[in-house]
Amino acid sequence: MTLKTLNLNAFKPVWLLGLIPPVLFLLWWDHEAAKGGANALAFVSLAQVGQALIDMFSSGELALSYGSSLGRALSGLLIGGGIGTLVGIAMGLSKPVEWAASPIYNSFRQVPILGWLPLIGLWFGSGDLSKLIIVALSAFYPTVLYTFEGLKQVEARLLDVGRVYRLNGWQTFWRIQWPAALPSIFTGLFQALAFTWISTIGVELLFSSGAGLGAMMQQAQLQARLDIVLVCILFVGLTGFAINFLIKRLSQHVLSWRSVRA
Amino acid sequence: MKPDLKLILSVSSPLLLLIVWQAVTAFKLFPPEVLVSPTAVVAAFGEVIATGELQRHLSESLTRLAGGFTTGASLGLLFGLALALSKTVEQVFGPTFQALRQIPVLAFIPMLILLLGIDEVFKIVIIAKAAFFPVALAAYDSVKGVPKSYFEVSSLYRAPWWVLISKILIPATIPNILAGVRLSLTRSWLVLVAAELIVADSGLGQMMEMGRQMFRLDIVMVGVIVAGVIGFGLDRLFQLLQAHALRWKTA
Amino acid sequence: MDYVPHSQIPGHKVKQTGAVSLKGIKKQFNFKDRELKVLSEFSLDVQPGEFVSIVGPSGCGKSTLLRLIAGLDDTYDGTITLDGQRVAGTSLERGLVFQDHRLFPWMTLEDNIALALTNRQISKDAKAKLVADHIALVGLKGFEKAFPHQLSGGMAQRAAIARSLVNEPKVLLLDEPFGALDALTRVHLQGELQRIWLAQGSTMIMITHDVEEALYLGDRVVVMQANPGRITHTVDVNLPHPRDRASPVLHRLKDEILAELTNVPEAPNSVVRLIKGDDQ
Ligand SMILES: Nc1ncnc2c1ncn2[C@@H]1O[C@H](COP(=O)(O)OP(=O)(O)O)[C@@H](O)[C@H]1O
Ligand SMILES: [Mg+2]
Repeated sequence: MTLKTLNLNAFKPVWLLGLIPPVLFLLWWDHEAAKGGANALAFVSLAQVGQALIDMFSSGELALSYGSSLGRALSGLLIGGGIGTLVGIAMGLSKPVEWAASPIYNSFRQVPILGWLPLIGLWFGSGDLSKLIIVALSAFYPTVLYTFEGLKQVEARLLDVGRVYRLNGWQTFWRIQWPAALPSIFTGLFQALAFTWISTIGVELLFSSGAGLGAMMQQAQLQARLDIVLVCILFVGLTGFAINFLIKRLSQHVLSWRSVRA
Repeated sequence: MKPDLKLILSVSSPLLLLIVWQAVTAFKLFPPEVLVSPTAVVAAFGEVIATGELQRHLSESLTRLAGGFTTGASLGLLFGLALALSKTVEQVFGPTFQALRQIPVLAFIPMLILLLGIDEVFKIVIIAKAAFFPVALAAYDSVKGVPKSYFEVSSLYRAPWWVLISKILIPATIPNILAGVRLSLTRSWLVLVAAELIVADSGLGQMMEMGRQMFRLDIVMVGVIVAGVIGFGLDRLFQLLQAHALRWKTA
Repeated sequence: MDYVPHSQIPGHKVKQTGAVSLKGIKKQFNFKDRELKVLSEFSLDVQPGEFVSIVGPSGCGKSTLLRLIAGLDDTYDGTITLDGQRVAGTSLERGLVFQDHRLFPWMTLEDNIALALTNRQISKDAKAKLVADHIALVGLKGFEKAFPHQLSGGMAQRAAIARSLVNEPKVLLLDEPFGALDALTRVHLQGELQRIWLAQGSTMIMITHDVEEALYLGDRVVVMQANPGRITHTVDVNLPHPRDRASPVLHRLKDEILAELTNVPEAPNSVVRLIKGDDQ
């Protein structure tokens, strides 16, 4: 029985089944594109998409846009994540700070992140600064939350050890609280990374002047260039995939001592 | 009894923020295109309500949300269940599902605009897509996560399939599925606001985008606050439903 | 009292410091508007260099008592002194070994032990030497760079003992240090602790739920009862160290203590719990 299944799988690799939907979809898509007529504007042939990819690649346009989006996401992560970690630490270490800051944090957090854009746009224009602020804000929220939670959850039994050896406030923080909270802080940063990528695309779509994959897509949409739009989606998706993969790998590594009892 | 510092601080900090905001505008430190006072925002709020503008935009947004979210979440539920329960469905559609899941929903907006135009269909589809994935994933994961031993126990007692579903599958999976639905509701609202900002032909997003283009900071702020309150309210509402649906868990 | 001071036990290194005195300790927890009396009129004098074992049923306040001596909890009535000085807060003079080793999983064994020296005003080299010496003392040479999850339970507990000894405290408090270990490791570590105590000569107060362990190690065994926690019995063990586990004296004393513990009209469950040792 087991042997039979094994053989069957050896001759019919199951992963090929997974190719059925995309292949069928692409065939249908190409068929619609070839039909022309009413749909000609929207559906572009796969050859066209391929050509667009080559063109964008060779003109350096793609690299420029992609680099600009990636740079925006990463600087947003750095700024928002950095400030968020500091705020989270302040809230996690001091109860008065927690009490004063959490109602403000919690009410600001309710606004859908891109909903801030019109307001930020009025204040800082529709250029890179406004975009960066929103992207940084999207990294800020999860890092505050996870840093705060991580510090709150440091067990009293570990803090007692610090007291027995008369560690002062700074030593207790640096030797005990920070490392104990680190897995949670990383979880927050990972989430922030995923969020910054999404919000980068979002802000670029909304404020579509300047470089970036989102801006490129939006401009292509205005010129009805679906081929360019599709190439952009491909790269946005691949990056999303890479980020998720990275997160999965890194969290296995970083969280490995969480399973170990202190 | 000593005064409750927690209460004092958590009430006074937002109040302080408001007072500082009001004071800054009272001393005219910034021109009104840059900062309007809280009272001006309240006045603008009154204005958009009196003209019926807010109600109109909001009802458009919420109708859209209801349509898109219901469609997306129910399709997501069905798809997630099918994916988890049938080996064939999983083999055929699993990889596509996992790949599409990686693409931020917002990235589909330009493509959908080109394929569907900027009318109602586009907005419903984009919200439905936002709602689809969290629910499908939660349904898939939670059904897959039901321990095999549960099924073994039921086959041991020769339980018929409907008992299997109503007594084992549903109670074991419903908490996680509801959590997925809650996430998808929040996502839907976020994507809806974004889509309305981009397309800007109707709804709360359009009100904000128009406010921005006309330098009406007060209206934009009303929009920001309403977007936040609605997002919060929806989440709270769902949380209550969730608690109600799961009350057997604590009982 | 026919107690033979430990100074008369051959082979024991004697220190003149490390006298712990507890007088009329009263401790209660206020718990949901209810008062829970945990310790009542608890008095005990421990000689410098003495090894005192404390046994008692689960929940009788043993850990609470140790936390008071360690200075982790300052809210109690009565006085606790070390060499005549009232204790206030924690101090490097009073070491504490917890039941769970509480090594930090993100530090190597060496760093875990060095942590205890963070606030000692001695040179880096002196610190490194102290750490190395104490790792050797507990027999963990070669594991300096190991992380806690790479150590067995017994090794981790030894590291915890090294950490608490590295400051050369006048008194070492041990809260069921071997409670979580398997029987074999436990017997082995009891021997090790005895060897360390003989070599170091600091005062030790050890809590245990294992009567045999208490008798094997202690110069004196203090028996406690619950509700509220108090001393009901004290047994002197006038045997030289290191001891023979098969000694008939130990067996007689063990029967005596167990009889004492089973003979408690007001807390019939305590013995069962004591023997099961679920003192957590
Ligand atoms: N922080 C605390 N708050 C309230 N009650 C406590 C606290 N710590 C211990 N207790 C109670 O005090 C009693 C004695 O606890 P403990 O000293 O841990 O006992 P033992 O170590 O002898 O088992 C128990 O009833 C326990 O529930
Ligand atoms: Mg205890």
